Amino acid sequence: MKNIKNIFIKTKYDSDNLGHFGKLGGRYAPEMLIPALEELETAFNKAKKDPEFQKELMDLYENYDGRPTPLYYAKNLTKKLGGARIFIKNEGLNHTGAHKMNHSLGQALLAKRMGKKRLIAETGAGQHGLATATVAAKFGFDCTIFMGKVDYERQRPNVFWMEQLGAEVVQVLHGTQRLKDAVTATLQDWIANVDNTYYLLGSVLGPHPYPSMVRDFQTIVGLEVKQQLKENYNINQPDYIIACVGGGSNAIGIFHPFLDDKKVKLIGVEAGGKGVKKIGDHASRLQKNPKIGVVEGYKSYFIQDQDGQIQDTHSISAGLDYSGIGPQHGLLFQKNRVEYHYATDKEVIKAFKILAKQEGIIPALESSHAVAEAVKTAPKLSKNKVIVVNLSGRGEKDIFIVAKALKDKKWQSFLKTQI
Amino acid sequence: MNKILTQLQKIKKENRLGIMTHIVAGYPSLQKSEKLLLTMAEAGVDFIEMQIPFSDPMADGPTIMKANKVALNNKTKIKDALDLMSKLTKKIDIPLLFMGYFNTIYNYGLEKFCLDANQAGCSGLIFPDIPLDEEQQENYIEIVRKNDLIDIRLLSPASTQDRIKKNARLAKGFVYFVARKGVTGSEKSLDKSLEKNLNKIKKHLKTPIAVGFGISEKAHLNALKGKAEIAVIGSALLNQYNDKGITGVKNFLKKIG
Ligand SMILES: Cc1ncc(COP(=O)(O)O)c(C=O)c1O
Repeated sequence: MKNIKNIFIKTKYDSDNLGHFGKLGGRYAPEMLIPALEELETAFNKAKKDPEFQKELMDLYENYDGRPTPLYYAKNLTKKLGGARIFIKNEGLNHTGAHKMNHSLGQALLAKRMGKKRLIAETGAGQHGLATATVAAKFGFDCTIFMGKVDYERQRPNVFWMEQLGAEVVQVLHGTQRLKDAVTATLQDWIANVDNTYYLLGSVLGPHPYPSMVRDFQTIVGLEVKQQLKENYNINQPDYIIACVGGGSNAIGIFHPFLDDKKVKLIGVEAGGKGVKKIGDHASRLQKNPKIGVVEGYKSYFIQDQDGQIQDTHSISAGLDYSGIGPQHGLLFQKNRVEYHYATDKEVIKAFKILAKQEGIIPALESSHAVAEAVKTAPKLSKNKVIVVNLSGRGEKDIFIVAKALKDKKWQSFLKTQI
Repeated sequence: MNKILTQLQKIKKENRLGIMTHIVAGYPSLQKSEKLLLTMAEAGVDFIEMQIPFSDPMADGPTIMKANKVALNNKTKIKDALDLMSKLTKKIDIPLLFMGYFNTIYNYGLEKFCLDANQAGCSGLIFPDIPLDEEQQENYIEIVRKNDLIDIRLLSPASTQDRIKKNARLAKGFVYFVARKGVTGSEKSLDKSLEKNLNKIKKHLKTPIAVGFGISEKAHLNALKGKAEIAVIGSALLNQYNDKGITGVKNFLKKIG
């Protein structure tokens, strides 16, 4: 595969200079943070223009992170489903196991250029926290990770590894004790330590420039897919691209290079939890009566009540269990450029099992949402159609949750012997 | 004339430091927050912020975050805060301001909120997460002022020269200066560079300055005299209330008064 040299591409769906994606996005931050956001924006714009920056990043992608990740033709799965050909972009093969490494490396390089000494980050599934702790270790930053108590408990393997890497992991007890509360806690830490600290945000959300910057660092995924389809399979363009959407970083990363090519259908998959009818049962922001709000520094769709109070969410996957969605996704939804579907917890576990048994790939529960959508869509399409599924991460971190969902007796008795 | 301006004139004439205190509507209950605010007014404070509770109060530390949560658990709605405002402004004369986060009033409808707030007798709004930068998107300042309310601009130790100037140019009433880098919460001592920071913003300001975040003792107020016009006491009073009830609040205000 020939080297990709430029990840900074433009589309019709980019933000304006103030970070507005149509009417969404922006920088709704308290004065305490705005100067830091301005400083970050300036540093990012400067880095974008500096060929050395991209060169250094590409070197890290290749030699530290293990990029390019494979685009794999899932022949068994395709055969089993009996419809469109399914290709898997295996982001689970990034160092540390998920796409989160792409934007963590980019931002760590930036933090280094800005002379910052400490990285802080929020995490849900723990994959972003793990990636941040990893780059902190590598580049010599101090590191604090904020994690809602619910996630801290259900993604314990990642907590353990973050600590081994030298990060401090703080349990967030406020609010719903999930991803959104971790974001708030990290913003609060940033307000207090804004001089020496870099907030390494883990998705395409938050105040400008984060949604655009994180997207740019994830664009490598879509660019590779484009090239791999052509070089390895002689396919000019896919018919469908499917990705799960929490905040939306892995999805936007794979969509971005295809946004202006209307022939490619794009599907984002939200967490349907126990079903999308009742608030509190799911984390689908765009399914029933999507409602716009301004939270955590940006304007987008949030699961909230009449008074704008953010509501509880539920998903079997911690990484999608988030009440907001990145503002560019909000715009792509409004413009009908991306369709947003959902998968329930049950469908997700089923898809997880299918992919493991058919292809020998254990997907993260977040990524299993994208697989679930492919399981539903592929049989309805003809055999000459091409679906690319973004497999955002691998599933080792989910061993406790999956074992519990599958009521695995052997694992349960093993756990007992360990106490 | 807006009551905030009248009260500022009064403070100036009396040549003293003004005091602004803070309550969360619905904490610990609607009735008790009403009583708390009345107690503060009786004790002679000059301004009171009434916070509309929000699920994600980004600029608030643990004490006020918890109060927000309790108020929401009590099912306090924006409508309740407006009703409380209306009730209280009939009983007391000092200016009351709404404090909160933009999402609540955005969902209520900014125009409607400002109209209702004005009718309820509210004098001004303190909403930290709707900065100047989004004025073109939201017309916040424009709508607030059209309804005879004053939007209080905020500045912080991190504010750049450019941002100080831009906010100063627009400021009405007073400017709220965040005394230190951090969220709300009481502290033992004032930020060491507070005086230097205040001098930095004063050069550009025509309006009086309120200093908040971390102010909790008589000594802090003494230190602010002559350097700012208003001291804001938030978490410290709420802590008194949580520990010692209304009596604690009365005694605290007497001690510092
Ligand atoms: C493997 C994996 N996929 C997806 C996500 C969701 O994030 P995003 O929507 O930003 O890609 C996470 C987040 O924790 C994750 O760990």
